[in-house]
Amino acid sequence: MNFDSIFDYTLIYATIRAATPILFAALAAAITEQGDITNIGTEGIMLTSAFAAVLVSYTTGSWILALIVSMIAGVLMALIMAVAHIKYKADITAIGIAINMLALAITKFGIKQFLGTTGSFTDPKIVGIPKINIPFLEGNKYLNGIFNNWSLMEIFGIVMVLLLTFLLYRTVWGLRLRSVGRFPMAAETAGINVNRMKYQVMIISGVLGGLAGAHLSIGYSQMFIENMTNGRGFMGVAAMFFGGANPALAWVGSLLFGFVDSIGGRLQAYGWPSQFVLMLPYIITISVLAFSMWRKKRREEKAKSSLTIATVKN
Amino acid sequence: MNDYIVEMTNITKSFGDVKAVVDGQFNLKKGEIHSLIGENGAGKSTMMKMLYGIYPNDSGTIKIKGKEVQGLTPNIAIKDGIGMVHQEFMLVNELTVLENIILGFEPTKNITIDFDKAKKEIQKYIDTYNMDIQPGKKINQIPLGEAQRVEIIKTLYRGAEIVILDEPTAVLTPQETVKFFEILNSMKADGKSIVFISHKLKEVMEISDRITVMRDGQYMNTVNKEDTDIDELAKLMVGREVFLNVKKKDVVVGETVLKIDNLWTSGEKELSKIKGISLDVKQGEILGIAGIDGNGQSELIEAITGLRKVEKGKVILDGEDITNKSPLKIRKSGMTHIPEDRNIRGLNRKLSIKDNMIAVKIDKKPYSKGLVLNNKEIDSFTKDLIERFDVRPTNPEILTEALSGGNAQKIVVAREVDADGKLLIASQPTRGVDIGAIESIRKILNEVKANGKGIILVSADLDEILSLSDRIAVMYEGKITGILDAKNGNENNIGLLMMGGKLGHNDSEDIGGNL
Repeated sequence: MNFDSIFDYTLIYATIRAATPILFAALAAAITEQGDITNIGTEGIMLTSAFAAVLVSYTTGSWILALIVSMIAGVLMALIMAVAHIKYKADITAIGIAINMLALAITKFGIKQFLGTTGSFTDPKIVGIPKINIPFLEGNKYLNGIFNNWSLMEIFGIVMVLLLTFLLYRTVWGLRLRSVGRFPMAAETAGINVNRMKYQVMIISGVLGGLAGAHLSIGYSQMFIENMTNGRGFMGVAAMFFGGANPALAWVGSLLFGFVDSIGGRLQAYGWPSQFVLMLPYIITISVLAFSMWRKKRREEKAKSSLTIATVKN
Repeated sequence: MNDYIVEMTNITKSFGDVKAVVDGQFNLKKGEIHSLIGENGAGKSTMMKMLYGIYPNDSGTIKIKGKEVQGLTPNIAIKDGIGMVHQEFMLVNELTVLENIILGFEPTKNITIDFDKAKKEIQKYIDTYNMDIQPGKKINQIPLGEAQRVEIIKTLYRGAEIVILDEPTAVLTPQETVKFFEILNSMKADGKSIVFISHKLKEVMEISDRITVMRDGQYMNTVNKEDTDIDELAKLMVGREVFLNVKKKDVVVGETVLKIDNLWTSGEKELSKIKGISLDVKQGEILGIAGIDGNGQSELIEAITGLRKVEKGKVILDGEDITNKSPLKIRKSGMTHIPEDRNIRGLNRKLSIKDNMIAVKIDKKPYSKGLVLNNKEIDSFTKDLIERFDVRPTNPEILTEALSGGNAQKIVVAREVDADGKLLIASQPTRGVDIGAIESIRKILNEVKANGKGIILVSADLDEILSLSDRIAVMYEGKITGILDAKNGNENNIGLLMMGGKLGHNDSEDIGGNL
């Protein structure tokens, strides 16, 4: 096996490419988690939007329109969850599962009804999200391989990380959201409308989940396959937990998944069983979650112990 | 004709079938400190939560500055100049002091929060009322007394002219209370109007201009401080004469039943980590543990009872090493425990009185044999306990969540006292219960002591510690700052120890423990 050809400079862009759909899902989960809603429906939101994007792009030939419709689809799915959870006090995990199953059913129905096929759909008429070509970089092999021809969404993903970080930690809205998620009673006595905040984050989550789905079907690839998210929404939730609902740290978690995904693809070329390679992301999800929970617990235990010297000055 | 800035007349409020306020009357003059007093459950907090817009009132009128208000919400109340400091602080632990104060009323520069402007604004209040706080710290890093000042500044920052304080002194030492009253008086001098909710009559007599008494949701009377005294207020509050100070029985002290040797254990906060505590309890004595909540009392009790891991040191119960044994094993070795929170550890609220009472004996004969319960025995056991401990209602099948605080607590007390161990730990045994139940629980503890058991009594209520204990250990930041004979204990010297101070020779003759 040739390690050099697995771990070469092209792995950098491959990682970012594979991480971006998960990143959008992670951000969709992070923003609701800040409002104390664990949105495992990200998976379903993403799948529905992925289908909507392909459908609109195929029928209208406009990727911009496709992007807009997929965000609307994402918001609609998120609103179903929001109304059930916020207004009717239903358990968020149960609704999340329901939304995920609903998304599977809707898209299965949609692909048959509107695209006249089953299983998967691809067509040259699907217009993808453009890639950004910078001719100036083409001269250098490394710069070209790492920085050139990024999908618009891959750039936008990083912009979103910065934007959400700014929103959460520098603005009034962010401060209020963080208080709503951690101690809703305190927020309420400060005159903040807790439910309105929760609806707002669910809508934002729908937008982000919609982008995640659209990127998957008309950015990352140019097709729709039944259940094409294949757990990426859940991986996003895992990356969010890994980063403790902090957008930048959730990004790190997403990159980890992207990295493993890329390595897996290369290993397959060396005759590793494809079943094993396909298993890798899930093994990593479980390991990452277990590890981050263990680390959190250790840190808490250590902080609480009477035998460690306090780092907090009094 | 009137100069009231708040008038509440003929107020009623029910929660389901429970009538919290039947006939509520309250008015407030500008620039006065007006105490609202009554027992737990008398409706005083409910009255003020209606004024602050947390609960809507069922009927009656609320006037603020002469204007009748309807559909009050906290938002509207804040705009009308009302601020409330709740008994449980409304502060977000993970956010900083500064962020908590400005929450909901953030100054902005373009689209970002203007933290510098906020800091300057807050400094004004810190200077005017002499309240020291640390704006950059997170709430979970500051002591309770400071958190309370943060709460007060928060209400002032929001422009409050009327400040409602719900049992504010419960988290303060006697000395901190003195300082706190200075702050209140300077606020009053500044024209603020203050509602002081309390049941501590001594404090009420010290700080108030006027006093309104409530009982069972009913308005009793409003009096000027000059025209009344503690005895009259107590009678008005309870409806009869009260005898809370049970006569201490002098009992012959026997062998050591519990020995704690250099105990170290983890803490929920930095200040509540137990750092090397040694104590012993003898048969026939009550060892009182005094201290402000959150200085490690809960952690100490959890470590002794097996609910928290002991990191260093030993716990010996009647000669047997029980360090880090399971709670069940420790119980079987003769430990009984009235936990500090009856709704979390004391009772299963979804189970009946009967199920809760039999819980610690369910695996013993004659109540069960193998896998089969003997319901006849269990029934007669439960009936007997209900009668002996005067639990009401007397139907053993009623769910404990339907019971009043006092009766729920009596179930826990009955179960633990009947278990007849070698040592009884009573943690905050009378917190949130009515005066009748306080009287009877204190009497029971004295009887247990007379039967030669050892008792550890943890209480945030200094009066309770003083009236029951034979010896008093004072905790501060996870250590014992002093152990004194109850005869020498008083508010001053115990209060000093509660703040981490040391006693000189003229404060007390008998200081022991690991100072």
